[in-house]
Amino acid sequence: MSISGRAAVTRGVLLRLREQLEFTKKGQELLKMKRDHLAAETNRLLAKVTMRKDLDQKIMEAYKYLKDAYLNLGYSGLLSQASTVDRMGVKVRPRSIMGVIVPEVIVEREPEIKPISSPSAYRAAEKLRGLMKELVELAETESRIEIIAYELMMTNRKVNALERILIPNLLELIRYVEGRLEEESLEEFFRAKRVKQVIGREKT
Amino acid sequence: MKKPETIYLITRTHGRKTHLLNPEDFNVMARSRSLTEIVTQLLRSDYAVEISKLPSREVDSTRLETIFLKTLVDRYFTVIKDARGKIQEFLRAYAARVEVENLKRILRAKHTGEPIESQNLIPLGREHTIINFPALLKAGDIDETVSLLKETPYATLTSRLDVYKRLGQPIALESYLDRIYFERVLDRMKGLVDGDSLRWLVCQEIDLRNLLLIFTLKLREATPRIIKDMHIPTYYRLRSGVVRRLIHGKFEDAREILAGIYSEVADELFKKGEEESRVETVISKVLYKYATFALTNFFMELSYVVAYMLLCEREAKNLVAITTAVDLGMPEDVLRSRIL
Repeated sequence: MSISGRAAVTRGVLLRLREQLEFTKKGQELLKMKRDHLAAETNRLLAKVTMRKDLDQKIMEAYKYLKDAYLNLGYSGLLSQASTVDRMGVKVRPRSIMGVIVPEVIVEREPEIKPISSPSAYRAAEKLRGLMKELVELAETESRIEIIAYELMMTNRKVNALERILIPNLLELIRYVEGRLEEESLEEFFRAKRVKQVIGREKT
Repeated sequence: MKKPETIYLITRTHGRKTHLLNPEDFNVMARSRSLTEIVTQLLRSDYAVEISKLPSREVDSTRLETIFLKTLVDRYFTVIKDARGKIQEFLRAYAARVEVENLKRILRAKHTGEPIESQNLIPLGREHTIINFPALLKAGDIDETVSLLKETPYATLTSRLDVYKRLGQPIALESYLDRIYFERVLDRMKGLVDGDSLRWLVCQEIDLRNLLLIFTLKLREATPRIIKDMHIPTYYRLRSGVVRRLIHGKFEDAREILAGIYSEVADELFKKGEEESRVETVISKVLYKYATFALTNFFMELSYVVAYMLLCEREAKNLVAITTAVDLGMPEDVLRSRIL
């Protein structure tokens, strides 16, 4: 059953349908803008993700030093050295990009590694500390991409639904209502003319 | 002429020395592909009793490390039990390196307020120490921890609190603990038989500890004054002038300064670069080399017992390194270079 089969044919309905079409088209435009913005943001973030390969290499390098420290101090010794390091201060707060809530990670305090007394543990900590900020940045970027990609997919579906289903249906409905209203006004005109003729014949 | 109890102690230590793993055992273990293989080999050693208590599913490098350290402590106190009088007092002071390490671990944790439990310490029985470790573990901060050491040989640690607070680094307290430890060892060493060979071994250890401290602080670009404050003011082959030059000179100058004194340390340290990660290994290797030398050259002297204790420590460190490396899947050649 077509959408036109369910619509009441009045001028009020036609006005409402026209308003709805205009609103839908504006919505579609906005969604398209959001889609473009999110796509641009994704592209920007994807460029950042390319640092992952470099970072992987750096982590492997730092891990080598960490293994060295493990070998020198053992598990309990290294744990003891690690306990002298003040923890890194990281704050995660929500940020909105075109209404999409993504995490924003702020490094408030870098870990203080100076109290480490073992040279091998210090070397490992030094290597790892340099990477922590980059790791946090990468984690932020990857989680943003994940959220934005999902939102992008949803926005795309909405745009497609508006473009291919909702707007064509509304247009069809408007055309139908307009046609019916035109027919009705013609009928009315014809009826009025006939009534006028009948009244005129009775008078003569 | 040595007293019979001294001869008894040295003879017993000769017997105990045969229980130590030899370099070939370490090499075989370094070739192992899994911890199970290492455990199988250790079942033929002094570690068998403790290891056999461990369910095979629960074998990991952390648990094995605890066993190695527990065995080390047991070995120390078995030797002490065999000794009598002043020698026993001296050996007890020498074995206090375990409690010093535990104190350092507690102080490090208290520095950041990180929780620490007895499992994080080297297993040391209550009967072997006068330090109330459970109370120290519960202490709220460094001030409280240090105040709990009032009635112990480490009471003077309070005098270092202001340096620690100024620097904000527990190394200020750690180095002072080392100083107290070695001063106590030297004090207990006075009047003992075989004083020369004992001094040769113990004082070289102090020299090496000073070198480690100076190198560690130099690599962190600490000021000469801080280094001077923290080192142990007892020298053997390192004369005070040499220490002064090391403290005031550049790190790279150490090779030249140490030439003819501790050339084996300097040559090995500056051979490949990456000094910072190798400094501990290089210095430990030299120390255990001296212990091995003492074991073969002073075989009827009291320093033989000290050398044995040092080699027990080397064995524990090597086993920890091997099990950790196997657990982490490190290549055999890397591991071999780290075996002390």
